[in-house]
Amino acid sequence: MLQLLASRGDLVLLRDSVEWEGRSLLKALIREIALKGEQVHVLGCEVSEEAFREGFDSDTNRRLVYHDVFRDPQGCAGIGGPLGALRACLRGADAGPCTLAVDSLSWLLLRAPCSALCQALRALGRGQLRVLGLLHEDVHGPGPVGALGSLAQVQVTVGGSAGGAVARVLRPKPRHRPTEQTHWFSVLPDFSLRFHKEPSLEAPLQHAPPAATADALAGLTFNIHLSEKEKEARDTLALPFHFSSEKQQSLLRPAPASSASQIFYEPDAEDYLDQEDPDDDLDV
Amino acid sequence: MAALTTGFYAASKGGAGDPTAGGSSGGKCSFRRKSPAPGSGGGVRWRSIAGTRPSVRNGQLLVSAGLPALDQLLGGGLAVGTLLLIEEDKYNIYSNLLFKYFLAEGIVCGHTLLLASAKEDPDDILQELPEPLHDDKYKKELDEVSSHKSQGELDISMKIAWRYQNLPKMEQDGPGSSSRFGHYYDVSKRMSQEMIHSVKCHRFFLPEEITSLPNVESCALTHGYTKLLHSIQRIISEEGFNGSCPQKKQKNILRIGIQSLGSPLWGDDICCADTPEHLHSLTKFLYVLRGLLRMSLSTCIITVPSHLIQNKAITARIRNLSDTVVGLESFLGGEKEANSLYKDFHGLIHIHQIPRLNSLIGDVSDMKDLAFKLQRKVFTIEVRDRSPSACVDSERK
Repeated sequence: MLQLLASRGDLVLLRDSVEWEGRSLLKALIREIALKGEQVHVLGCEVSEEAFREGFDSDTNRRLVYHDVFRDPQGCAGIGGPLGALRACLRGADAGPCTLAVDSLSWLLLRAPCSALCQALRALGRGQLRVLGLLHEDVHGPGPVGALGSLAQVQVTVGGSAGGAVARVLRPKPRHRPTEQTHWFSVLPDFSLRFHKEPSLEAPLQHAPPAATADALAGLTFNIHLSEKEKEARDTLALPFHFSSEKQQSLLRPAPASSASQIFYEPDAEDYLDQEDPDDDLDV
Repeated sequence: MAALTTGFYAASKGGAGDPTAGGSSGGKCSFRRKSPAPGSGGGVRWRSIAGTRPSVRNGQLLVSAGLPALDQLLGGGLAVGTLLLIEEDKYNIYSNLLFKYFLAEGIVCGHTLLLASAKEDPDDILQELPEPLHDDKYKKELDEVSSHKSQGELDISMKIAWRYQNLPKMEQDGPGSSSRFGHYYDVSKRMSQEMIHSVKCHRFFLPEEITSLPNVESCALTHGYTKLLHSIQRIISEEGFNGSCPQKKQKNILRIGIQSLGSPLWGDDICCADTPEHLHSLTKFLYVLRGLLRMSLSTCIITVPSHLIQNKAITARIRNLSDTVVGLESFLGGEKEANSLYKDFHGLIHIHQIPRLNSLIGDVSDMKDLAFKLQRKVFTIEVRDRSPSACVDSERK
């Protein structure tokens, strides 16, 4: 999963919902990054610091720089509101690659205008900084979610079914087609990630492809399928205006004087060549 | 570039430039247009501008949009002084490609560019422009592509209508169209640096222009839009695109490209909220922009993420205020991708509106069901074959 976090200057959007929460995935990703030796800044708005740090080992906790807004939400009024708090996270950061995890973007969206948040994230995202943002999809309408989605370089949607939790990773690369990968995962108590193979659901899958193609031809009231015999008969049928060899020869031969034009008449099988002209009795 | 003009104009140009040899070289006809003598400077004398041609239908001056297939759909090209609006597809891949084609065409024709963006640095956009292809290489590309296809599938050559076998898949513009008007590009390669630097390019990058958030926003337009309009107006008047400073040198066209207008990065919230605060900001911007375009020799391309706009009334207003509207709908990530009908293509292209300039009827193409696909190197637009026999054939493959 860490290939998705490979490039710097990215905004990674983690979308979760009430049924499938994404904070454990966020913490698992933070742990993986911290284990590599990078510093991680966390803007905590929704849970307290103790609750967030719980479950991490001491190494990770050392590399975690926590900016607490949860304790005093109104306290950030002095530094320019919630967005000011976002920008202030990085003020004390050491130079070099680092990661900012925002928990959560929904909290910021409810307190600041969406366009200002997008501009602030864009301004942060340039350079060596990687931003991981947690967004609760069901809190907002499709507008803000779509706007943040178009800004993000990688979108991870947490969902699942009876088989387990699934993370759908979508990365719209600029030149190629966007790739969407599905990973079945589970987060262990120490916040390490474990990936599973997709649980085998052979039977339902087989029904899916035929249904897709049958849809297109379902409503027709006539039969357009040909049996093998019918196909053969169709192929061997002689066509009326076919390019016959005689016509081809005449076209290939250099044409005589243009005054004489030739008419090619190939009598058909059913043609009735009557010597007696039926129009003779017409007195015209 | 003089080869771009049609025969009619060639006659007058011959008359204007070379009075002695004009009659013999001007053309097959002895009829000569009465034009003022060179150097008299009276009235509006029409000299051909690089990269443009008059429309065969109403004489309107046209520029190419960068994609000859799109030019044919729009009635020969984009009229100078009009606005092309592209409604972005979901991940902004193909609309970005059309945007780059427009800019690359400007560079190849030698037009001046003005690039405005809030998301990417304009210099980065310029670095990613596709490289122009020569005509014979393009034909080779197309042959490669079609031979690729026929290896995999049955070669259904026409048995009854064999005379129509070799017709092109899209209607041609007519005998008057000269193939030098639009150029072809190779998407997999980049344009060379010296070609990019050979034209003058102005830039407008919103985070640079707005260094601090303003406390008071102007009531009519968001701050970013106001700055952009001032910038466009300044460039038009300084460089004389509206005829304000009499130039001795050749007239040129200004190509303006604005990326992702209306997105939250421009400070506008029509994409974020159902009842946005700046409801009329974008529409007022388009109104003023169209006024600026009409009075100068410029064309503009704008991409708008209209799939994010929740309020359909705003989308309708934006379409009415633009001249040409092209919508892109890509199949990626949607339910249509799995459908066998859409297997060969990457998306649908909808021509929502074509302007009626100085005429009563518009140039609407007969073909409404168009789809596009992005091959490795070229972007093609074709008519989508919707007959049931096509489904049967695709099922068989």
